[in-house]
Amino acid sequence: MVLTIIGVDVSTCTRRVKVVLFEKGVDFVIKPVDWSTGEHKSEAHLAKQPFGQVPILDDEGFILFESRAIGRYIATKYANQGTKLIPDPKDLKAVALFEQAACVEQADFEPYVSGIAVEKLFNPLRGLAGDEDKFKKNVEALNAKLDGYERMLTRTKYLAGDVSAWNSKNIGLSMSLTMPATR
Amino acid sequence: MVLTIIGDDVATCTRRIKVVLFEKGVDFVIKPIDWTIREHKTEAYLEKQPFGQIPVLDDEGFILFESRAIGRYIATKYANQGTKLIPDPKDLKAVALFEQAACVEQADFEPAASGIAVEKFSNPYKGLATDEDKFQKHVEALNAKLDGYDRMLTKTKYLAGDEITLVDLWHLPHGEIAEKFAPEVFESHPKFYAWWQALKTRPSWIKANEKGNML
Repeated sequence: MVLTIIGVDVSTCTRRVKVVLFEKGVDFVIKPVDWSTGEHKSEAHLAKQPFGQVPILDDEGFILFESRAIGRYIATKYANQGTKLIPDPKDLKAVALFEQAACVEQADFEPYVSGIAVEKLFNPLRGLAGDEDKFKKNVEALNAKLDGYERMLTRTKYLAGDVSAWNSKNIGLSMSLTMPATR
Repeated sequence: MVLTIIGDDVATCTRRIKVVLFEKGVDFVIKPIDWTIREHKTEAYLEKQPFGQIPVLDDEGFILFESRAIGRYIATKYANQGTKLIPDPKDLKAVALFEQAACVEQADFEPAASGIAVEKFSNPYKGLATDEDKFQKHVEALNAKLDGYDRMLTKTKYLAGDEITLVDLWHLPHGEIAEKFAPEVFESHPKFYAWWQALKTRPSWIKANEKGNML
């Protein structure tokens, strides 16, 4: 049975998983969620994803949620094919630097780019007004955080070291979402 | 050379590491930051922590920042002593469920809990006004997210399974502040509350707070 991603093809978090699947050359199908009927808030969905969100991985009955956890699982399960995206667990220091980079993405990048996305993309899509003040605060905060990124990327090619790693893919995704919004 | 944590004994993110060190029975020293010279914003410090934050681990010259990354490093390096806090890397499914729980903590708990901490503790501490509207929004957001926690903790005793892991402990520093200022949110989620009570009474957390905390 091919890996199933329960999600929405165009959603940011589903695409965060798709990019990893394509890097690893792993076959999958997307099983769409019917947002219009509130399927993501149904008891059946909540039994798999207790926060009523997408995506969810179904690997022959093994259910996993959270796009980064799914990405890690794919990168580990298919370690021997496609792009190497996660260090060998036996390499204590490489793993430590990967985890440090993972924390940086979640604490120093994601809150601000997703905040920009909410004000400039998601709110308008939902027919809500974007909050210009919140947008500007997120832009200022991101601007300051990217000084830290510059320091890190002066030393290494990618955030966890010199080998292409999964975290850089997450950033690529978030940036592609931010760029149209900030233009 | 004993593990050195460059940080502040009472700071939330330093205590997030201290609780792990105590669970694992690992010796360490805290090397305090000199706040009077804004040491954390000096070039020398930014070499170690490019975002100008604390804490930083110095393990015989190996420098690591971010409290959760440091916790993972300690739990892995000292896997054979103290409480088991991270699954065996060979157990693909156990690791996946641990990583799922780690994402939940960072996406579904930390933003609202730390938001409450900013409005109700950090801002007053710095002489800034509390934004009551932001505080209320964080409380509402946390309240909704804890429904998800109740669902998870109906199925397993801890967030990654039936054994405690790092992820459970990571909730303590900001959770403690959130509980103080929004106790009704904690108390109205029974599974979450029982799990929370067990965590905050652990000797390692009590010891991590011995030199004081922000409350």
